[in-house]
Amino acid sequence: MSAARGNGKGGKRTLKLLIVDDSNIIRRRIERSQQLEELEVVGTAANGLEALEMFSKTDPDMVTMDLTMPQMDGIECISKLVQLKPAIRILVISALADKATAVEAMERGANGFLNKPFTDRQLNEAIAELIT
Amino acid sequence: MNVAGADRNRRLVTAGAGTALALVMGLALLAGFRLATQIRSSITELQTASELQTYPSVLTQQLTALRQRLETREYTGQAHEELAGTVARFKHDLRRLARRSDMQSPQLRDAQRMWQAYSPLLAPILAFSGEPYVDTDSGSSLSDSGKMYYRNVRQAQLLAKQNVGRLHRLLTAVTRSLETQTSGAAARLRLLLSGGVLAALALAAAAAYLQLTRARHERAAREAQEQTRDILKTVREGFFLLDADYKIGSVWSEALAHIFGRNDFAGLSFEKLLEDRVPPTTLATAVKYIKLLWGDRAHENLMKSINPLGQLEISADNGRGGKETRYLQFDFHRVVGAKGVKHVLCSVSDITSNVLLARELQEAQENANAQVDMMVGMMHVDPLQLGSFLDTTETGLQLINAILKEPARTDGEFRKKLGGLFRELHSIKGEASALNLMSIAQRVHHLEDMVSELKKRAELSGNDFLPMVLKLDELLAHLRGVREMATRLTALKDAPAAAAPAAATRQKPSPAERPAGRTGEDISPTLRALAEKLAKDHRKAFKLMLSGLAEVPAPYVATVKDCLIQMLRNSAVHGIEASATRRAQAKADVGAVRVDFRRAGEGYELVFEDDGAGISPQVLKDAALRKNIITAEEAAAMDTRTAMALIFRPGFSTQEEVTMDAGRGVGMDVVARTVYGLGGKIGVSTNPGRFTRFKIVLPAAEAASSAVA
Repeated sequence: MSAARGNGKGGKRTLKLLIVDDSNIIRRRIERSQQLEELEVVGTAANGLEALEMFSKTDPDMVTMDLTMPQMDGIECISKLVQLKPAIRILVISALADKATAVEAMERGANGFLNKPFTDRQLNEAIAELIT
Repeated sequence: MNVAGADRNRRLVTAGAGTALALVMGLALLAGFRLATQIRSSITELQTASELQTYPSVLTQQLTALRQRLETREYTGQAHEELAGTVARFKHDLRRLARRSDMQSPQLRDAQRMWQAYSPLLAPILAFSGEPYVDTDSGSSLSDSGKMYYRNVRQAQLLAKQNVGRLHRLLTAVTRSLETQTSGAAARLRLLLSGGVLAALALAAAAAYLQLTRARHERAAREAQEQTRDILKTVREGFFLLDADYKIGSVWSEALAHIFGRNDFAGLSFEKLLEDRVPPTTLATAVKYIKLLWGDRAHENLMKSINPLGQLEISADNGRGGKETRYLQFDFHRVVGAKGVKHVLCSVSDITSNVLLARELQEAQENANAQVDMMVGMMHVDPLQLGSFLDTTETGLQLINAILKEPARTDGEFRKKLGGLFRELHSIKGEASALNLMSIAQRVHHLEDMVSELKKRAELSGNDFLPMVLKLDELLAHLRGVREMATRLTALKDAPAAAAPAAATRQKPSPAERPAGRTGEDISPTLRALAEKLAKDHRKAFKLMLSGLAEVPAPYVATVKDCLIQMLRNSAVHGIEASATRRAQAKADVGAVRVDFRRAGEGYELVFEDDGAGISPQVLKDAALRKNIITAEEAAAMDTRTAMALIFRPGFSTQEEVTMDAGRGVGMDVVARTVYGLGGKIGVSTNPGRFTRFKIVLPAAEAASSAVA
C-alpha cells in the first residue's frame, strides 16, 4: 500500500484515482499507462481491506478494482466503497471473464468492466468513459 | 415523424379555416336574418305609404261628396262617417310611418307639416254631430249649425282640392324612397346570401379535404401497421419489449413463439420466460442484468460486453416428446424517451447451428493440428515400425470389435467384456504412446475412460456399449487416415529410389508366413523413444540399456514389444524414484533400466530390470484389498511370493490417479496373459528400495506359432 504524491496539476479540478490490485505489476502498469490529465493517482492497494484504508486516507473519486484478491475480494470491497461514497466511480479490471461476475460487480455498484489482459488504449478508453 | 408532423399541421390549418368559414356563415345568416326582418317591415311600411298616397284624393272626394250632399240636402250621416274613418286611418298611418326611426324622409316631414296645417280645418267637421237640416215648409234647409258645418266642409274641400296634388306627390315621393330602401336591403340580402352560399361551399370543401386527409392518414397508418405486422411475422429473430416491471409487452415477432414453443407472452415476466429452461444461477444473473439495463450507470456498449445471455444454453422440446439442447442469443437495446429508459427491446435468435458449426470448425482445426503433429511424429518413426504398429492395432481393434459383439446377458458377462476391452485398449495405447502417436493414444485413452465409467455403474446393459462402438468406428477411421498418411510419407521418402511398396501399407502376414528363424523389426528405437517420453512426462531420469533385441524372432516381436512397453511404463511410473529421493537413498541420480534378450536353450529369455524402488508386498496387498481383489483374510494369509503374483491379476494397479501411462490396472495382466498365450512363463523378483526384475521365458518360435494357432 502506498500513497502517491499529488502531481499538483493546476487549472481544472483533478479527480483522485485509487488503484486496487493484488499484483504489483498490474498496479504499476495501470499507474504508468493512465494518461488522462484530469486524473491523479492518490494511492494503491493490494486487497479490499487495504483499499478501504486507503479510501479513508485519500477519499478518491475513482477506483480501479481487481476482483480476485486475498483478505477481502473486489466484489465485497465495491459494496463497501459504494456504501461509504455513493458517487464513487469504480472500474473493475479482472481476469475473470465470465459475464456473471461482471453483472454481479455492476449490480454491487461498479460502473465499468475491463478484462485482463488489456492494452493501454483499452484502459484509457475505459477510464475516460467512466469520467464522462 | 416529420411527415406526420407536417400532416398534422396541415390538418390543423384546415380545421382552423373550417371554423372561420363556419363563423362567417353564421354571421352572414344573422345579418341576413336582420335584413330580412328589416325588409319585412319596409314592405309593411311601403304598403302603408302606398295606401297613404291614395288618402288625399279619397279625402277630397269624400269632402266633395259631403259638400254636395249638404247642398242637395241629402243624408250626410254615412258620408260624414266615411270621412271620419278615412281621416282616422290617414292620421294613424301617417303617425306609424313617421314613428320609424330610420325614416328620415323630408317629403314625409313636409307631408306631416301639411297635414298638421290642414287637420285643424277638419276638426270642427269631424266634431259636428246632430242634424244639419231643419225642416221648413219650403223643404229642408240648413240649420245654423248645418250652415257652419257646410262652411267648414266647403273650406276644407276647397283647400283639399288645392293641396291634394302636392300631398299626393309628397306621399308618392315617400313611397318611392321606401321602395328604394327596400330594394337596397333586398340587394344586400342577396349579396349576403351569395356570400353565405360561397362560405358554405368553402366549408364543404374544407370538410371534404379534411375527410380526404383523414382517410389518407388512416390508410397510411393501416399500411404502417400492416408493414409492422409483416416485419414481425417474417423476421427470424424473436423481438419483444420489456417494460419497467420486466414484463413482455403486447407485441412480439412470430419467431419468438417458435423459439420458445408458446404464445402467451403478453405480460409474462422475463424471469418466467427463462424459468425451467436455464439453471437457477444463470437465471439469477440474467435478472440482475435486466435490472441493470434500467439504470443509467452503464452505457450501452458496456452493457453489451457483459451481456450474460450472449450464448445461452437452454433445454427445449424437440417436438418428439423429448428434450434437446439449443443455444439462444439475446441482445438488449434500451429504448430511451424524454424521461429516461422507456422500454428495453430484446431480440432473441436461435444460434444453435452457428454454435455447432463453430464447434465443428474447432474440432476440424484441432484434427488438422493433430494430423500435422501426427505427421511430424510419424516422420520420426521408422516406416517398418509404423507399419507393424498399424497392423497390430488394427488386429487389436478387430479383437475389441469381436469382444463388443460377443453376446452377453448377465452382469458378470458384461463385466468380463469390459475387462477384455480394457486390456486390449491399454495395450494399443501403450504402443501408440511409445511411438509418440498421441492422436491415437488420446483417442484410445478416451475409450478407456468410457470403459472405466461403465465399470463404475451398478447395472450394465448392451445399450451402454453403443457409444463405444461409435468411438471405435471413429478410431478405425482415424487409423485409416494415419495409414494413408504413412503411405504418402513413405512414397515421399522413397520417391527418388522408386523403392518397393511402402511397408506401412503392406498386409499383415500371418504368423505362418513369417519364417521362424528370421528376426523381425528392431524394436529398440521404439523403446528408446518411449523411455525418453516417459522420463519427460514423469520427470524421472533414467538410462535405458538394451541388448539382444535385434535377435528377437519375428513371431515374438509384437509380444516382446508389448511386454517391454508395459514394463518400461511401470518402471517409469512406479519403479524409478525422483532424483532427489534417489540421492537421499545414496543411489545414483540417474536410474538404470536394463533389457536383455537372448537365446536360452531351445527358447529365449527376456530379462527386464530397473534399479528403482522395488515392489513392497505389503503395498501390493493393501492396493488389492482396496480394490476388493482379495479379502482381508486372504491378505493376512498371503506369503510374499503370492503377494507378488498380484501384479499379474486383471484390474490391479497401485496407482490411484489415472494417467496415460499408468493407473488403469491392466498392463502386467496383459503381459502375463500374452506370455502364457505363447506357452511361456513370467516371473518377478524384487528387493524393496533396490530393484525389480522381470524374467520372461519363451519357447522356440515354432512352438509359439503352434501355441498361438
